[in-house]
Amino acid sequence: MTIAVIGANGFIGTRLVEMFHLGGRDAVVPVVRRASSLALPARFALEWRIGDALDAASLASALAGCDAVVHAALGDARQIEAMPAVLCAAAATAGVRRVVYLSSASVHGQAPEPGTNEDTPLHCHHAMDYNNAKVRAERAFFRGCARHGLEGFALRPGVVFGPRSRWIADLAADLRQHRAWLLGDGSGICNGIYVDNLVGAVAQSLAAPPDAAGAYLVGDAGRITWSQFYGRASTSLGLDPAAIHRLATAPEFHLTASERFSQLVSGRAVQTVLPVVPARLKTIVKGLAATLAPVSPSPGGWRLADVAPPRITQELVLLQQCRWHLPSDRAIQRLGYRPAVDFPTAMQRSLAWLAFAEGAA
Amino acid sequence: MAPLPIVLVGCGAVSQLFYAPALRALEDAGLLRVAALVDPVESARARLQSLFPAATASATLEQAEAPRGGLAIVASPPRWHASHAIEAFGRGWNVLCEKPMAATSAEAECMIAAAATAGLVLAIGHYKRFFPASRSLKFLCGPAGPLGALRSFSLAEGGPFTWPAASPAFFQKSETPGGVLLDIGVHVFDLLIWWLGDPDDFKYADDAMGGLEANARVSLRFGSVTGRVQLSRDWATAQRYAFEFERGAVGWTVNDANGLGVTFNGAPFSLEGTLRGTDGTVAATNPQSFIAQLQHVVTAVRLGTPVLVDGREGARALRLIEACYARRQFLDQPWFDAAETANARLRAARA
Repeated sequence: MTIAVIGANGFIGTRLVEMFHLGGRDAVVPVVRRASSLALPARFALEWRIGDALDAASLASALAGCDAVVHAALGDARQIEAMPAVLCAAAATAGVRRVVYLSSASVHGQAPEPGTNEDTPLHCHHAMDYNNAKVRAERAFFRGCARHGLEGFALRPGVVFGPRSRWIADLAADLRQHRAWLLGDGSGICNGIYVDNLVGAVAQSLAAPPDAAGAYLVGDAGRITWSQFYGRASTSLGLDPAAIHRLATAPEFHLTASERFSQLVSGRAVQTVLPVVPARLKTIVKGLAATLAPVSPSPGGWRLADVAPPRITQELVLLQQCRWHLPSDRAIQRLGYRPAVDFPTAMQRSLAWLAFAEGAA
Repeated sequence: MAPLPIVLVGCGAVSQLFYAPALRALEDAGLLRVAALVDPVESARARLQSLFPAATASATLEQAEAPRGGLAIVASPPRWHASHAIEAFGRGWNVLCEKPMAATSAEAECMIAAAATAGLVLAIGHYKRFFPASRSLKFLCGPAGPLGALRSFSLAEGGPFTWPAASPAFFQKSETPGGVLLDIGVHVFDLLIWWLGDPDDFKYADDAMGGLEANARVSLRFGSVTGRVQLSRDWATAQRYAFEFERGAVGWTVNDANGLGVTFNGAPFSLEGTLRGTDGTVAATNPQSFIAQLQHVVTAVRLGTPVLVDGREGARALRLIEACYARRQFLDQPWFDAAETANARLRAARA
């Protein structure tokens, strides 16, 4: 089987290429958007291709001769929403029937309600744009599959970690700079999946019978809390987990007037009419918008030295409030998914990568 | 003296981002004039011709027009360097060749021989030698260095590949003989050899598995000085050179042409700052260092003075790179499982 991997230079795409190629079962064709993204796929003697995940003709040409395609390309919210339709049209043109799309568990929000599974209805009222974009994207994917007669598999991983993952690199940086934090006792559930286990789920989707097509939640075996995730990383880095900041309550996030304006402008309706708005009017509105930015009082030089505040993001605040371990039951039953790498091994390999990236001998 | 005529061979990213602004600055100063632009890609030629409207533009070097005694800047892909340089010598032009000076050291020798036969200048574009920080490091590593003898060093350079390459040539074995070691390592090795001489011994490992390496590690020994080099076009490195001397340490951030950090052994704090001349003026920046290199070569052509990095000097880094590839070991990737590692080693060994 010849498998195209779209987004072959990203963190998941890179591991897909490594595992498929070194696993030796299938031929893999890395597809990247531009020549400068070839550094990692080009480590192998592979027939890589250039294809734009936002351009159906370009992508169809890159998929020619492949039997299946895995979509692991990244993008901003608008690109995320646009890519599935392009993917399906390109796959149909290239005659590729089996399509595996990397959706996300965040279609259920960062802290899904207890009882959430693949049957839980999706909605687009999440606090973060990314989640809503992934919901629209997954819907567009299945619409595209139906329209073009494709066998579509959408995988919904949660926190994907492993080599080259921000969940490892950023966490290590935060731990070392004393900027990492846990909400309360850290008992929120981390719906994590080690990247190799996700690649395993992709491989199972590629091999599954056509009637198994659909959406699947996929995660690691066992329930891991954020405290366990951070604790394991911290001790492996030789740091004291007790030094991790503790937040008693979850801070609230409100959009500033300026952020609301940016959100409005990036919306589909405004983007549609923007090309016909006179430049002068745009300049005036931009100028007015600039005045919406809050002016925070600066302490100047009068502050304590070397105090690193915790780096708190809305995404992590929401994730750490999760009380539900998303089930992989459907993937296990219908795809034969088995997360082969356990959490301690996954964390050990992830941190071994970090040491490698930092130049360890 | 009339401005020196320049033939710019190759109108890709390095010419657009580095040579074009430097040439314009020196053209404005009356030191040179861009006479001809050469590139097989019409759009690349057109972009540069808009900056140098008086220059002729052609697809091949054969079609280029410039008087004998001029200077050809060879900034084409590395596998064309030797043939373009040798053709330029045949036309009576001196040559400033971008790094790496050739695809192989054998080609480099042919270039050196052609320059000698023609009696023309062959300079290699290792412009980092013109950084005030590099010159300071050469002084510090030398016998009169105020921090005492160098004991060890650790150099980390590179990060995700962001060079606006117009073509995939950087990643095709048919177009380039090496990956990150050839691309970034040639600068690093040139500086190391300039500072410390040729190494007495070294070990080399990279992560190529049938293709071109994205990560490379070199450990070297220069007499009693030991050091290591980490290169990557995969993940952001520290982008920092660190040197341990007998009486202190020096740190340099990659490409910070006029910045340097110093720690004196036993002192409670380190110094990190901008280098200045003895008259207090801020030392040359990165772009000014690039211009300085070009100005230096133009002066050498006009006055017959020696160039800092001639063909012989430029070939030293290339020879060390070839020696590394010849002794290459596979760089284990510790997140691979046992079967992947075995397969990866096999593919690396076959290549």
